[in-house]
Amino acid sequence: MILRDRAIRYGFIVLLFGLIAYFAIAADGFVSPQSAVFIFQSVAITGVLALGVTATLVVGGFDLSIGSVATSAMMAAAYVMVVLEQNAVVAVVACLVIGAVVGLINGWLIVYMRVPDLLATLGMMFLLVGLQRIPTEGRSIATGMTMPDGSVANGSFGAAFLALGRHRFDFFIPNLIPVSVVVLLVLAVLIWFFLEYTRFGRMMYAVGSNERAAELAGAPVKAYKIWAYVISGVFASIGGILLAARLGRGDIASGNNLLLDAVAAALIGYAVLGAAKPNAFGTAVGAVFVGVLLQGLTMMNAPYYTQDFVKGVVLVVALVFTFALSGRGRR
Amino acid sequence: MNITRRLLGKAALGLAGATLLMQLPAIAQDRPAPFDKPGAVKIALVRYLSTGDFFQAYLSGVEAQAKALGVDLRVLDSRQDAALQADMVDQAIALGVQGIIIQHGLTESMKDAAQRAVDAGIKVVAFDVNVENPKIPQIEQSDRDLARLALEQAVKDNGESWKAGYVYVAGIAPLDRRNETWVEFKKKYSGINEAAMFGTLDNPIANSVANQARSVLSAHPDIKVMFAPYDEFAKGVKIAVDEAGLNKDIKIYSADISTSDIAAMREPDSAWAATAATNPAVVGQVSVRALAQLLAGEDPGHNVIVPPTLITQKDLLDKDIKNMEDLSAKLPQFAHADVAMPAWMPNPNAK
Repeated sequence: MILRDRAIRYGFIVLLFGLIAYFAIAADGFVSPQSAVFIFQSVAITGVLALGVTATLVVGGFDLSIGSVATSAMMAAAYVMVVLEQNAVVAVVACLVIGAVVGLINGWLIVYMRVPDLLATLGMMFLLVGLQRIPTEGRSIATGMTMPDGSVANGSFGAAFLALGRHRFDFFIPNLIPVSVVVLLVLAVLIWFFLEYTRFGRMMYAVGSNERAAELAGAPVKAYKIWAYVISGVFASIGGILLAARLGRGDIASGNNLLLDAVAAALIGYAVLGAAKPNAFGTAVGAVFVGVLLQGLTMMNAPYYTQDFVKGVVLVVALVFTFALSGRGRR
Repeated sequence: MNITRRLLGKAALGLAGATLLMQLPAIAQDRPAPFDKPGAVKIALVRYLSTGDFFQAYLSGVEAQAKALGVDLRVLDSRQDAALQADMVDQAIALGVQGIIIQHGLTESMKDAAQRAVDAGIKVVAFDVNVENPKIPQIEQSDRDLARLALEQAVKDNGESWKAGYVYVAGIAPLDRRNETWVEFKKKYSGINEAAMFGTLDNPIANSVANQARSVLSAHPDIKVMFAPYDEFAKGVKIAVDEAGLNKDIKIYSADISTSDIAAMREPDSAWAATAATNPAVVGQVSVRALAQLLAGEDPGHNVIVPPTLITQKDLLDKDIKNMEDLSAKLPQFAHADVAMPAWMPNPNAK
């Protein structure tokens, strides 16, 4: 039994290190500080989204709209800077407001309108995919673009904004750590501390594990649920800001792949340390796990479909870890 | 209703005629039927793909040429629903259109629908979808030429021997055609060594490709040339090259162009050296012109090919080209293709 407990608890971490060891031998140049930083950078955006969706998973909900919130925030940032010619601060604030408002609406639909969470956020996803295209009539946004009315947009992405995607901090080696990685790490620590150690976070877990019991115990369940969606929306919009800063333009995209990768990371996170429940640490490890896999496979020239396949296998294995081995999945 | 339409048609004809007169003062000839009364001509554009800059520009080209001719254009957009697109052809037949442009789609679903339209006496042209019908002219942008132009420039810039990274996703028809040229090039120049092949269509594509390209660059730091024959791929590769600080050591060659591509190519020390592109608006114009020729009883030929243009970083900087409008204005070969242009055809670009 002890062995089995150990396997559940540390199995996934061991698998992660095994994977790193394998790629270190099989792929030249895999082990280097730059390579490690790059793995974090490649998962920074989906990682931030995954941390947000973890908050909704904690209260027993789900948020399908995070991918489109991220791409909508990206379009909004581009629109604010390129078309309205505002500065980086305005753009960032606009994105965060959009994320919070979308989260509020999601929460309101789910809590007060009693729309099931998957359906409400699915509707929001479609709404946003359409909405983000209306201001430019479906065009991507870049400096010098022609607007639907024939005028030319002359604004540009501010240097401060681009720095969010491109600036690198010195860390032993000069120009090593990109801002997006720092954002990911800071947000991961914040949400981890928030969910594990604050009363607010523990109450969110209580709502998620038994809503009725939490309500009878006097917890404002509705407020906690709405807050979870606001957190998710704001995190998704932060992901969108990072995406815009990296791409340097507003790209029309549905963000479905961002959604799927983020959800995969959060679900893989269930298996980490045998938690068998959504948790921020697990989500972060899950995101890094996917990053390591993709980096290693790409370095070994594996085509994209094998990468999708391997991603799927990892997710299935993680879910088996969670539900079968731990036996805590049955409620 | 009839009167207004006729009036409108006359007005449009008058305007178009005026343009034609200014253009060719000596000829001033009448247009063949049915374009002597263009207001009565109804054509439909049945689309499979519509989101994205390329398709927006294509549509604007179709609209511009339809307007120049003065015909009534209906746009039916199936939004990537193959079955709906086939139904829309039937819908267009029921609307009583004289001509249909099929834009993209799947051979399997469109072949029968296109045949039904032909049987109903409607003239049909198809862009970038093979409907396997000898009566239907195929409008194509030559993907092989696109790839060839970009690669010839790569050889011109870098010599005949280099290590290359190649971005490719199999199973996408235009990318497959571009790939054929790449395969030929590797055979022709034995010094070209493909160190890595990667690619994905996960959206946002540029972001996903950037992640892959970073991994490839750390595995093969000696790559000199990146061939990314689709502009979303090239944007992703450029992000990775910039992040790795290799922008002065690597050159990117691609296909397709947009305003944001132009901005990326114009950046100081940009790795993106050249791209080959067909103007989607011109392709749209050519589609309408080929259809108009059919309606006038002329034969545009079975394969109507719109030639691509090579656009280098140097062109953009020397001519101070900042967006697609500048590009059309300052590279005339990009703005207009002399394809399907009989003497009576109005040129929508003529000012």
